[in-house]
Amino acid sequence: MRPSHLVYLIVFSGLVSAVFATLLRDDMPGRVRFALTAFGAFVVSALAVGWLMYPFPG
Amino acid sequence: MVRSQLSRRARGERTDELVETRPAAAVRARPAAAVPACLLAWLIPGAGHLFLRRTGKGLLFLGAIGTLFVMGVMMDARLQMYIGLDDPLAFLRSLAQMALGLPYFAARALGFDAGLVTSVTHEYGNTFTEVGGLLNILIVLDAYDTAMGRKP
Repeated sequence: MRPSHLVYLIVFSGLVSAVFATLLRDDMPGRVRFALTAFGAFVVSALAVGWLMYPFPG
Repeated sequence: MVRSQLSRRARGERTDELVETRPAAAVRARPAAAVPACLLAWLIPGAGHLFLRRTGKGLLFLGAIGTLFVMGVMMDARLQMYIGLDDPLAFLRSLAQMALGLPYFAARALGFDAGLVTSVTHEYGNTFTEVGGLLNILIVLDAYDTAMGRKP
């Protein structure tokens, strides 16, 4: 059984956010803050765009 | 404080209390290691940072990029090399995957190159592998900056 698309979205967002935070911030509190912000932005924006596209034909 | 010391030095006054102003990263710079670090970082994601003794960063990059790539392959990503400009987007996507280094070529050698275009996760797999490669380019540049002392 394959995981749902939402699980893929969450895993992808978490991994990419962790890499960006490590690359762009040098201190640990800054990294954690950046990673959480980027993760939230990824997930929320993907859900929002998906929801906005709902009325369009498949 | 440093600015006032510099202005005093410019006026020719003695500044006994001049402090070390170079950042710690510059002190740890290893310019001779920049090229091997970049090569290692391309071949194995995170290996460049491990070579430069940034163990935490190296392990995180290795784990994150490795997971992206393995998940992408498991999601039936297409890894076939596309060289040519008749389909520029396919060429760029192939270049992004090649930026993953050894894992990409190893997966191709093991027969995971064709993917499965009818799989429901095929495009997700492509995205995972391509983004992993693009992130690895940023990691190579970060390894270069670290070796040159521009980053801690």
